[in-house]
Amino acid sequence: MLDVSSCKLSFGGVKAVDDVSLRVEPGSITGLIGTNGAGKTTLFNVISGFLKADAGSIRFMDRDITARDPSEIAKLGILRTFQTPVGFPRMTVMENMLVFSRHDRDRRSSPFSPARVPAETLEAASAILADFGLYQKRDVWAEDLSAPDLKMLEFARAMMAGPVLLMLDEPAAGVNPALIESLASRIRALRDQGVSFLLVDHNLKFVCNVCDRIFAMADGRIIAEGTPDEVIADQKVLELYIGKSAKTDLQ
Amino acid sequence: MSGLLLFLVSMVSLGAIYAMLCVALNLESGVGGLWDLGIVSFFGIGAYAYVIVTAPPAASYQAYIFGFEAPVWAGMAAAMIAAALFALLIGALTLRLKREYFLITTLAFAEVIRQIFVNEAWLTNGVAGIYGLRPPLREAVDPSAYGFLLLALLVAGLAIVFLVTRHMVISPFGRSLKAVRENEALAITAGIAPRRHNLKAYVVAGTISGLAGVFYVWYNTIVTPGQYSSDVTFFVWTAVIIGGLGSLRGALVGGFIFVLLHDILRFVPVSGEAAATVASLRTAVIGLALILILRWRPNGLFPERATVFGGAAPAGAKAMVSHNA
Amino acid sequence: MPRIGSESAMDILIFGTISASILLLSSIGFSMTLKTEGFINIAHGQALLMGAYLALWLDGLGLPLWAAAILASIGCGFTGVILNRVLFKPVKSKGILVLLFTSVGAAYVIYGIVGALAGKRMLAFDLPPMRAWQIAGQPFMTPYEFAIVLLAIVSALGVHVFLTYTWAGKSIRAVADNEDLARVRGFDPRRTSDIVWFVATALAGLAGVFLGIVGSLHTQMGWQMIIMILAVTVLGGLGSIYGVMLASVVLAFGIEIGLMFVSSSYRTGLAFALIIAVLLVRPGGLQSLWGGGKTRTH
Repeated sequence: MLDVSSCKLSFGGVKAVDDVSLRVEPGSITGLIGTNGAGKTTLFNVISGFLKADAGSIRFMDRDITARDPSEIAKLGILRTFQTPVGFPRMTVMENMLVFSRHDRDRRSSPFSPARVPAETLEAASAILADFGLYQKRDVWAEDLSAPDLKMLEFARAMMAGPVLLMLDEPAAGVNPALIESLASRIRALRDQGVSFLLVDHNLKFVCNVCDRIFAMADGRIIAEGTPDEVIADQKVLELYIGKSAKTDLQ
Repeated sequence: MSGLLLFLVSMVSLGAIYAMLCVALNLESGVGGLWDLGIVSFFGIGAYAYVIVTAPPAASYQAYIFGFEAPVWAGMAAAMIAAALFALLIGALTLRLKREYFLITTLAFAEVIRQIFVNEAWLTNGVAGIYGLRPPLREAVDPSAYGFLLLALLVAGLAIVFLVTRHMVISPFGRSLKAVRENEALAITAGIAPRRHNLKAYVVAGTISGLAGVFYVWYNTIVTPGQYSSDVTFFVWTAVIIGGLGSLRGALVGGFIFVLLHDILRFVPVSGEAAATVASLRTAVIGLALILILRWRPNGLFPERATVFGGAAPAGAKAMVSHNA
Repeated sequence: MPRIGSESAMDILIFGTISASILLLSSIGFSMTLKTEGFINIAHGQALLMGAYLALWLDGLGLPLWAAAILASIGCGFTGVILNRVLFKPVKSKGILVLLFTSVGAAYVIYGIVGALAGKRMLAFDLPPMRAWQIAGQPFMTPYEFAIVLLAIVSALGVHVFLTYTWAGKSIRAVADNEDLARVRGFDPRRTSDIVWFVATALAGLAGVFLGIVGSLHTQMGWQMIIMILAVTVLGGLGSIYGVMLASVVLAFGIEIGLMFVSSSYRTGLAFALIIAVLLVRPGGLQSLWGGGKTRTH
């Protein structure tokens, strides 16, 4: 599905991504963990084309996508999210959905394509919105939504886009702890429908619970990989997290 | 009475031309997020392209070498094509720049283009301009009634431009344009290529401005470089802001309100030095209106509204409501 | 001395120096407000217009020119403070587009009022004629021109010393970098902002007087100069005060040299062709040559 091999990227001498290779198997949920500044989000940006790697290659479904335009990568079926889910503030919830619809994707390039949105697209969007409890707010501007609603809208947009690979940057951040389990089951349900996942999160419990496979990063390098149990038991990962909590205790 | 009527017809005609420019600017700068301070470039290019194609050959005291006496439709086509090509060229060069740089560079291009109009007399007849251009259907009606016919033509032109632009705004093209304006990175993840998409909007806006340039030539029957200074750009921006940036209705009405504010005093008969004073005060009134609007109604008189879609409620939506409540 | 076209190298040097001085004086203030307030103040051009006409009026009342220039400059300074407090500060939270067009509105108001009071005629300062000094048989500058160049250099150095060494200057830079942090350190952003607007607008007023002395006074001068100021500012990298100093010189001499090849009515066109060329090669302006460019994204 996704094959990252020997990717490197440095900013003015700092190796943000240092010889990283990782794989996302089709129909799997793969997690990426690591402390702040380990290079997780930078790696996300490299895979999704927002940053160009200095070296290495990225393949997606047997196609080389290294250094492709990010919008082209998105069109191939890779959807990435951002840490702050502000959406399109001065567009309605429904418009936020439509921008990610297949209907818009196929017709947006010409200013003269038909303006009417077909009923089935609206219905599909409405059904997803209803599922996330946003249907009643479909005509509200996204800037008027609460933070939890914006988070829900982010997932709703992702569902609308129907990606092959969904890259989630901190999906559990800002989610009510009581709802994290329902978030996990939504992700698993999508996986069962054939969507693959690569996700980054600080919530170790959530990552271990939901992921099939985990990669751990530190200082731009992959230091461990395996099933959640294997990675959690890894000496280097333990040091990283215990060291970190020891540091936070000191502060 | 008939003087007042003719004046009103003239004002509404000018308003229609401004409204056309406002609709074009609103597409790229209101719906799209491009801070274009060079809209006058394409207005001028359209006007000159039309004149070069349709004007008679130069008289002995004139300097321009072209003047093909082509029919009106050919002139209109030439104006739109020329404006579109220049917009494509300028847009391709400048759209990679960041906001403030884009704003200043588009202003820069407008200034360079105006100076070309001034200096290249072989093409434009220089500062003197070209006079006595015959608007279309001039012979069809009695000269005293021509103002009404021209008004009808301009309003028809504005209606077409408005409907076409409205279509673009509510279509997937316009939605994507808004998405880029609101959140460029997120728009990219939806598969939109921001620069290419913005370039299309820029070219469409340029083409419409070029067409407005043709109408402006009909209205004035002369073309001079002074008509295409950056004043026009700032006036159109002012009109769009008064109407409501991003709002189609606002753009449409803004053009007329601007002309009302700016030109209504022209009807007051004054002469000489007093006329200059009145002209200056007119500009001050516009400035004051702009300041007051931005202070108390920064979204304009007709703010951008949420787009509402129809459609039946999905099964289960009701259940969610009661669940939430 | 080799002759190039109709202008000698000496002419280029002299005219280039004079235009650079006036451009510099006009642009420093614009750059200061851009850096500290973060928006493009179109009304800055009209501050030049106001300074020039104010000085002309004071001069007409019988004041000596130097006194008229100083008073006009101070008057402009206070106008700047008032404009900021009454117009710009209240809409600061609404974003730079609102600020930009509020300044366009302010520019229209100043332009309209000055135009209504002064009329559209071209005017000039009534100066006793002075012959240009001769250097090695070649005409050099007139004493007026020399004084303008000298004063421009002194003002630029003054701004540099002010920003670098005085408490107020340091607070200006601190507020520009990070307003909250500056407040914590005990700098008062409100007072700082008053100082910036006073200095910026006073310099513009002075530049306007100088422009009137070298050439003539007409109501379009504010609009013409704001275009040149924008060119200088972009060339120097937005909001970089030292970039502006270099850009004034580069632009002034670039124009003088360019005018050997094209008609003099292409003056501002040439300036803009130059900045278009620079921006297409270096999208961050000249400042990015030495790497100080802060990149702001859309």
